[in-house]
Amino acid sequence: MTSPTVQAREQEAARAGASSHPVRGINHMAFPTFDPAGTIHFYGDVLGLPLVQTMQVKAWGPEYQRDFVHFFFDIGNADCLAFFYYFGQEPYRDKNLPPLLDLGKHVALHVDTLEDLDGFAKRIEDAGLTLDMRVMHETVESIYVRDPNGILIEIARPLRELTEADAVDAEITAQALLDIVASDVEPTLDALWTRKAELIASAVPA
Amino acid sequence: MTTLYFLDAAEFTDVSAVAAAQPGARVERLPGYVAVTSDGPLTVDRRATGVRHSVWYSALAAVGHGRVVQYDKDALKVEPAQ
Repeated sequence: MTSPTVQAREQEAARAGASSHPVRGINHMAFPTFDPAGTIHFYGDVLGLPLVQTMQVKAWGPEYQRDFVHFFFDIGNADCLAFFYYFGQEPYRDKNLPPLLDLGKHVALHVDTLEDLDGFAKRIEDAGLTLDMRVMHETVESIYVRDPNGILIEIARPLRELTEADAVDAEITAQALLDIVASDVEPTLDALWTRKAELIASAVPA
Repeated sequence: MTTLYFLDAAEFTDVSAVAAAQPGARVERLPGYVAVTSDGPLTVDRRATGVRHSVWYSALAAVGHGRVVQYDKDALKVEPAQ
């Protein structure tokens, strides 16, 4: 359950119309690229995200460092998706990454409306690229496409607002997960369901 | 006595409603959850819920005193714990 301290802070923050923490989104997420032309075309032309900053940097620091270009695309809210192109670096891609772990690692961009999502689907298909998937998840609808670097890019629109019930459930689920991974039982979804029920029941006045 | 908990959210309403409609099932609204309790097994037919797969497979929030013996494209079946 949410601790009284956390709950009080969040309630106070909600009353003040402010967040309970000082983080304001993602400053930037950065990835190496071995295909700067494809990357600039994909994000700049296909998705239409403005290139807002670049830097060209002479190698310094650790001996493995190389001269590089670092470039930043605006993804809204002053957040950026950034890439490094390292001069002279041999391309590398982990071919042994299991598919499940590959899918689990992705970037999800947020759009507000169905029209926005459809617009991106059209831009991607008009560019001759193939959407990997279009999925109605629980609380978002998403399209997926691979960028030229193999990064799975998800674009998602909300299907509903998150509620207090979602926040409470998140706290209980996290506590149940912490409990089962710290216990002697094998961590399974069945164990999680069972522990969550115990936590929910204990939170309800008899 | 087995209890199935569903998050009290719009996308899961049809799942908890089908569970609650089972003979012998009792429903209780808790803060954040809908709890469906039965003395015997509880079975929820996926097609009767009408929900899409992504919602179906994340609908079950917790299981009290029970064991999930089936959770697939056809049904969710939970039996009382031994």
